[in-house]
Amino acid sequence: MSDTLVPQIPTTNAEPVRRVPTDWTTQAMQSRIRRRYASERRFRFAGLAAVWLSAAFLAYLLITMVMQGASGFVETRVSLPVDLAAAKLPIEPARLVGRGADLALAGAGLEGTVLAAASAKYGKDGANLLSDGAWAVVRDAIKADPSLLQRKAVFEVPVSSPIDVAAKGNGTPDAEAVVARLKASGALSRGFNAGFLTSADSTDATRVGIWGAFKGSLLTMVVTLLLAFPIGVLSALYLEEYAPKNRWTDLIEVSINNLAAVPSIIFGLLGLAVFLGTFGMPRSAPIVGGLTLALMTMPVIVIAGRNAIKSVPPSIRDAALGIGASPVQVVFHHVLPLALPGILTGTIIGMARALGETAPLLMIGMRAFIAAPPSGLKDPATVLPVQIFLWSDQVSRGFVEKTSAAIIVLLVFLLAMNGVAIYLRNRFETRW
Amino acid sequence: MTKSLKMPILKMTARNVSVAYGSKIAINNVSIDVDQDEVVAFIGPSGCGKSTFLRTLNRMNDTVASARVTGEIKLDGQDIYSPDMDVVQLRARVGMVFQKPNPFPKSIYENVAYGPRIHGLAGAKADLDRIVEKSLRRAGLWDEVKDRLSDSGTALSGGQQQRLCIARAIAVDPEVILMDEPCSALDPIATAKIEELIHELRGRYAMVIVTHNMQQAARVSQKTAFFHLGSLVEYGNTSDIFTNPREERTKDYITGRYG
Repeated sequence: MSDTLVPQIPTTNAEPVRRVPTDWTTQAMQSRIRRRYASERRFRFAGLAAVWLSAAFLAYLLITMVMQGASGFVETRVSLPVDLAAAKLPIEPARLVGRGADLALAGAGLEGTVLAAASAKYGKDGANLLSDGAWAVVRDAIKADPSLLQRKAVFEVPVSSPIDVAAKGNGTPDAEAVVARLKASGALSRGFNAGFLTSADSTDATRVGIWGAFKGSLLTMVVTLLLAFPIGVLSALYLEEYAPKNRWTDLIEVSINNLAAVPSIIFGLLGLAVFLGTFGMPRSAPIVGGLTLALMTMPVIVIAGRNAIKSVPPSIRDAALGIGASPVQVVFHHVLPLALPGILTGTIIGMARALGETAPLLMIGMRAFIAAPPSGLKDPATVLPVQIFLWSDQVSRGFVEKTSAAIIVLLVFLLAMNGVAIYLRNRFETRW
Repeated sequence: MTKSLKMPILKMTARNVSVAYGSKIAINNVSIDVDQDEVVAFIGPSGCGKSTFLRTLNRMNDTVASARVTGEIKLDGQDIYSPDMDVVQLRARVGMVFQKPNPFPKSIYENVAYGPRIHGLAGAKADLDRIVEKSLRRAGLWDEVKDRLSDSGTALSGGQQQRLCIARAIAVDPEVILMDEPCSALDPIATAKIEELIHELRGRYAMVIVTHNMQQAARVSQKTAFFHLGSLVEYGNTSDIFTNPREERTKDYITGRYG
């Protein structure tokens, strides 16, 4: 190519026009600058105030929950001397080992012995001081050490709910008086309520535990995740990567968006009608709860997934297609790994919402009183938020702190779940 | 350009190719031949359809739902739009380098190894290592990256990224390489390196390059096609096009009167 073909920039000999510099010091200019700075400050202050306000709300919530709930993990105990040798329980030592031990001790009238010991020590109302589960503590101690049957021993047994509440400073005047008397004699002590973490619901506030509801939540969440995540991600991938853009896919998109906005109780009704009514699945079961919550969570995952997939740069798809990757390879080698952090964020939001959901589960019978932890997906169960709802409804004062304690357990569950998801998200995070 | 006595071997032929996006016609009745050991440059103003035409040569337009291609494009005498042509295989044979460097957000090694791996070109790890090294050497990138093959491909400079993309394209041993304005996002030094690379690769691969830079077209290509408003205005030897264009429009364009 010859140089003559390159065009030259035209030049003129005319004198350039002198420019008049802008005067930035005039009154109008200065006040405009001041206004600009002021609005900048206002905006920053408003933003900061909003952040502080929400942080304060969160702190208030957490602090009150922990303050009220912490005592739910603590139980009050009273020392109770029981003369087991004198009671002469009709029991053979051989039956104290293995599975029959509980039954053997119960059958031998241990509960009556313990109550009698309480009456003997603390007067005729002594039996009312003890929790319904007090004798079980004695029972477990005997199982651990059968020689107790041959002597007199002092046991630390949990007190009944009114005394427990009074000992924590919130009881009726009568109970407070009893507590004051017991305290003076040094019979009261406090300890960690291990039973709260290992047992299920009960009618006695001192014997309730969160494990049943926790396990119910766990099973329900597993079902929800196993269903909603793959179905949601596959739907999102298909809609974004494969589906033709036409009226049908528009309709599907609108439907999914609407589904995500449907009040959760409607999903409960749907679950009731379809899973229980049509398919005859068991009431109150984690599998049904999981299915219902999966219906609710799926649209959230689909929407988040589609957005995440959309944000994968098209150049990556071109690059992979350009060296002969098939569409499936493009999706699974490139698009999905890059979209995964976004999909996981959506899944966190959806699962957190599902974990906290109460209304749809009430509809499928998960509000029943369940006194044993579920051992499978088809066993009757309840979940943490429903358990909290049920306890908050109880008249007995002992349930107030248990409700707060259950809320703490729920929050810990939520944080643990989100922590895992955030860890996974950060592992898959890549920059491009 | 010296005339060789050897008969040129036709690699790709396009006959009466038209492309329409919906009702809008982007390419109108274009016929072009690409020889085995030539670099063909496509020039023309923005929106004239040269990139569109380039993308029909390895069916990248398939990803655009509304695009409709008519006419006949053959690779080694085989119609690439016939139902028995496997698109995946076609794209392995006709590689592509894009306007913006687009390495995968993976390691340099993985970027190059990806193609051979999905096409099963390397059995053992050692084979794959050899292919990666050979491709990076051919792309003139080996010496710069051999000590950091596990670094992310996106951490390289723009010019290096583009050469990585070329290495990635040649790793699957294509027969034709299509380049869609490969230097438009690069500085002059990186551009010079790519041009040098195109020179070195010539003969091994047939190449088609879309460019806005006419000096570049003049430097790297043996044949040049000038597109305007979706039609092929002139196609001939580069030396002829730039010194003695037959069409008035070609002359106006290369002298900078429009475009």
